[in-house]
Amino acid sequence: MAIISDELKRILDEPETLKAIATNDREGIPHIVFKGTLHVEGNDFVFYDLLQSSTNNKNLVNAIWFDQKVAINILSKDKRSFHIVGTPSKSITAGKEFEKVYEKIQTRFGEETDLNAIWFIAPETIKEVSYETRKQEEREKFPILAHLDQITIRRNEL
Amino acid sequence: MSINNRTKWRDMELSYKQVLEKYPDIPPIVALKIDVSRRGIAYTDAAFEKVNPDKHHVEPFNYMIGHGKQISPIGLFLRDGSVICQGHQEVYNWTYRDPYVLDVVDDKLVIVDEDKIYEEVRFWEKPDFYDKYTSNGTPMREIASARPQRLTIAPATKCHFWDVPKEGCKYCALFSAHRSCNDDGDIRDDKWFEDVTETVQEALKQKGRYASFHMTAGSTLSGKEIFDDEVDLYIKTLHAAEKAIDAKKFPVKLVASAFSKKQLQRMYEETAITTYTTDLEVLNKDLFGWVCPGKARLVGYEEWKKRLYDAVDIFGRGNVDCGIVGGVETAQPNGFSDEGEALKNILAEAEEIASHGISFADCVWNTLPGAIFMKQKTPSLEYYVRLALGLAEVRRKNGLNIYTDDYRRCGNHPNTDLARID
Repeated sequence: MAIISDELKRILDEPETLKAIATNDREGIPHIVFKGTLHVEGNDFVFYDLLQSSTNNKNLVNAIWFDQKVAINILSKDKRSFHIVGTPSKSITAGKEFEKVYEKIQTRFGEETDLNAIWFIAPETIKEVSYETRKQEEREKFPILAHLDQITIRRNEL
Repeated sequence: MSINNRTKWRDMELSYKQVLEKYPDIPPIVALKIDVSRRGIAYTDAAFEKVNPDKHHVEPFNYMIGHGKQISPIGLFLRDGSVICQGHQEVYNWTYRDPYVLDVVDDKLVIVDEDKIYEEVRFWEKPDFYDKYTSNGTPMREIASARPQRLTIAPATKCHFWDVPKEGCKYCALFSAHRSCNDDGDIRDDKWFEDVTETVQEALKQKGRYASFHMTAGSTLSGKEIFDDEVDLYIKTLHAAEKAIDAKKFPVKLVASAFSKKQLQRMYEETAITTYTTDLEVLNKDLFGWVCPGKARLVGYEEWKKRLYDAVDIFGRGNVDCGIVGGVETAQPNGFSDEGEALKNILAEAEEIASHGISFADCVWNTLPGAIFMKQKTPSLEYYVRLALGLAEVRRKNGLNIYTDDYRRCGNHPNTDLARID
């Protein structure tokens, strides 16, 4: 299990941050959706699913049933990107914890907003995949992976 | 001593693990729910110590008998958000299989079998209205009950199919405290309907708790036409609830007798209901006559089916459900002795009925005290898994939804749990 850093928690709490989750259905068809409510509780990524009939919800049920992985991508306001692979560990669909969130989302999104489930994703890997970070990584690990004119520019690095 | 030492049941059927290997389309958590429903679950002392009646959903006025003397919550949450509708089950000298065990490990409630931990679970939580009283002084918990996301009212606590000895359904343990001929069940006077309105009003103050209003009761046979008085009682109860639920139509899960088209039309026009469920219980005409003799004598299998089909004309495809007691078709001596033959027969009949727009809600048959069949042997886990998968496929093939009876609005049907990924 990967540990969620304080820095990533801080990025997740910033309102400009974009958060997307990718899932597959039973046949392997991919689906991706943005989830503004995604945040961290303990060492789980947690978000609120608002529609029981949503593809995202069905795919998450498929994942928790058959031990399938899901992917999360987080993009900060300064364009830092993080790629997370994890597994749904829990779905809360009723009870006091559910009701507390139900009231919270109505305050936030309006009283006609319903709540389907609170989903918990346990992270297995967390990796920063911002362009600058990945570019640096690739240069270090695979220095020949570039066009010749690029290599000419950075000839002193080879 | 384990029951297996006496009956050797584990040697005669596929284990949970073997069933998962043979049927990869069954989610392990759904298979576990089926197996717990089939075998029951027995609480350890440590699990009982975790029960807090101020917080957890216990039922002092339980209408099912046989859960022993200690108080246990009436259900469990699984980690996928689905539920097991079962409390602690006692073991009797005729019990055929070892129940699963609910234990505490590392301060967590877990389902255990043969020392292997299968899933972590949580107890259902008590509805907020349970400690309150109506203005008439009636405890609200005597007026309504609940599951995690549905509110239930049982307008009649007597099933009059039992008025003729042994004509009640043989698997049934519901309302078994009201089976004598001179017991009409609880009184439903004007005061009771006032109590219904106040209880529903109070229940709805718990925001986010209820996604469905559920009504069911024992059958009432009286009236100008059979079930007329039952229809009247449901209409009056719904009208009392409608005073608290401000909507022309709302999700009502009505599980009732097989009403005539005229009765159904009346219910649809005079109340808020949008869906209707009536239970054939066993999808075989001959076995229906043996298992449900009262229903067979007074309505009949073909007429019950016709009334289901008539209901589709009023409520629409997918808004009419048929409950079955999955597995009871193998009861002996008259049921199928071969599980494969039973499955082939039941699924063929399910296909025919579903083609008319009817969905199915499959309850796992478990033998409970109070039922004529309490000493019967239920089928294997493999049978129940194949039945759930088969019924789910029948529903998909016929393009029917099952939201009215799904994991959230009911929670007691493995085949409708499978619709969560459709």
